[in-house]
Amino acid sequence: MDIRRYDMIVIGAGPAGLSAAIEAAKHGVKPIVFDENARPGGQLFKQIHKFFGSKEHKAKIRGFKIGEELLAEAEKFGVEVVLNATVVGLYPDKEVTVKIGDEIQHFKGDSILVATGASENMVNFKGWTLPGVIGAGAAQTMMNLHHILPGKKVLMLGSGNVGLVVSFQLMQAGCEVVALCDAAPRIGGYGVHAAKVARCGVPFYLSHTIIEAEGDEYVTGVTIGEVGPDWKIIPGTKKHFDVDTICLAVGLSPMSQLLDQAGCRMKDTRGGFVPECDAEGQTSVPGIYAAGDVSGIEEASSAMIEGRISGITIAEYLGFAENEEKESRINELEVQLDTLRQGMFAPANRGKKIEKTEEGIAISENLLVKGFVSDEEIGRFPGVTKQRKIHPVMECTQNIPCNPCQDACKRGCISIGSNITSLPVVDKEHECIGCGLCVASCSGQAIFLVEEDVEPGYGEVTMPYEFMPLPVVGEKGIACGRDGRAVCDCEVTKVRTSPAFDHTNLLTIKVPNDMLMKARFYRAKKEAAYD
Amino acid sequence: MIDIRQKLEEIGAFEPHADDGLLVCRCEEVTKGEIRKAVHEGIFTIEEMRRYLRNGMGLCQGQTCGRLVKSIMAAELKETPDYVEPASARAPMRPIEMEILGKDQGGAYE
Repeated sequence: MDIRRYDMIVIGAGPAGLSAAIEAAKHGVKPIVFDENARPGGQLFKQIHKFFGSKEHKAKIRGFKIGEELLAEAEKFGVEVVLNATVVGLYPDKEVTVKIGDEIQHFKGDSILVATGASENMVNFKGWTLPGVIGAGAAQTMMNLHHILPGKKVLMLGSGNVGLVVSFQLMQAGCEVVALCDAAPRIGGYGVHAAKVARCGVPFYLSHTIIEAEGDEYVTGVTIGEVGPDWKIIPGTKKHFDVDTICLAVGLSPMSQLLDQAGCRMKDTRGGFVPECDAEGQTSVPGIYAAGDVSGIEEASSAMIEGRISGITIAEYLGFAENEEKESRINELEVQLDTLRQGMFAPANRGKKIEKTEEGIAISENLLVKGFVSDEEIGRFPGVTKQRKIHPVMECTQNIPCNPCQDACKRGCISIGSNITSLPVVDKEHECIGCGLCVASCSGQAIFLVEEDVEPGYGEVTMPYEFMPLPVVGEKGIACGRDGRAVCDCEVTKVRTSPAFDHTNLLTIKVPNDMLMKARFYRAKKEAAYD
Repeated sequence: MIDIRQKLEEIGAFEPHADDGLLVCRCEEVTKGEIRKAVHEGIFTIEEMRRYLRNGMGLCQGQTCGRLVKSIMAAELKETPDYVEPASARAPMRPIEMEILGKDQGGAYE
């Protein structure tokens, strides 16, 4: 029997697995990483949006770019990545069986890191097996990896960040998102993600779920209905939409079966079946570790830090790093991880209804139910000031761990302070020059530049714009409000692109002064309608 | 250990529902009604259910329906999903051709 031995075997070449392998390899460990997919990077290469966080979390960098950086780093440190390699067995003595090509190969690791990630949850409703009912992750794979449109008219179920981000990406790809619904009474994901979708005109149906996917051979429509407190459909609340695609974003479940098989102590939680782990990812079986979504669903940024923590821990476990070295590195990484786990959406706040921001400002109720902050609510947030001259209007109204805007403004107009979840404050004393770097730096696309009286009675609004084709200067169109409804006619006066903006274009439109605090999106005339 | 007789008495008799025909495990074509009925026949764990109805034994190995079956069983038992004991995990973790499995001689990656 021929068994190849490695210092460290990593299962899964996603953000957690690669980060762990890199961190360990930096200390001289020779890791091998197996992944069942044809490409490494896990879900990172589907993530075309800019990430949140701060500099050390690679904030404002798009997910696939972070994936490219990780791969380059893995190569630099000699991490061996084997693709199309499906791990089919993991045993307590740290033996791994891997299907590579048409044979099973055997490996033994002095340490094993399981970073197998998660799989998408499904829900059952009449017609759920019809072609056209797909997971949000599948939609992302089709669009962002294979450049295939999943459909033309889509209904999204699920208002968590996945549902919100994928809805926006579907529209970027050219699909029409007819509605976004969720059985929960409040939107689960970031308000800024919801606001991006709402201002494109997508209606939100909270406390609604799918009753039926219609169609004989494939999806031709969908019926949704309002759920009562008992989770049953309230009679007379049915709504029908013509769609060819129903996208499900109803959560993820850890793919933890390998850990169970290896004899690791497991726990059955609301978030899925996960291994019992300590803070460094050590399971109950010495030498077997877990990092990333497999040990509890979070997101890619925290998975990468968890991976690094397990990586240095494994390096020390194997004798490649001193305990002191490990401790100081872990302290540094834990601070980063802790920062990401702060704010309204922190794991500790899951399921809780937050009514006030850390600053004591009432949360926008409208944002939680309809996906946008109402005109009446927006003025109470510290990023929103009334000035005649050009200035940023920051519609960032929830405490989330993110601060690139503060660094983007070289003029000192924007301050968040050392607490990364604080709402950005616009300082009227500092002079905004309208460079737009803050607008492009905001991963939530929540910053606008507003200037009154560029000509008598008219002002300008500059907004982030990530749709193709780009409008051209002089084009006449319609300005839409935060709710996506037309508010007034407008003219495109500036379109700016720059490598520094990283594909977030800055679109400036001219609107009457009294529309400056209302106009937040632009539509070419033919497609928008007043109602 | 669960007292199966007592539990069966507690949950009452099987009552047909309008959505009993709903397919839950699409790989093995197992319906919601079949799963609910099996609970009333004394099947309380995922392990038993898989052997009894073959749900989760097909191509996706329960990746799609696992959580759904668990919650259907829990609802029928009037319990939270963690009451329903999961199936034990076994190799191979992914569907694999018998031809490949059969010739496994313990060789390593070159």
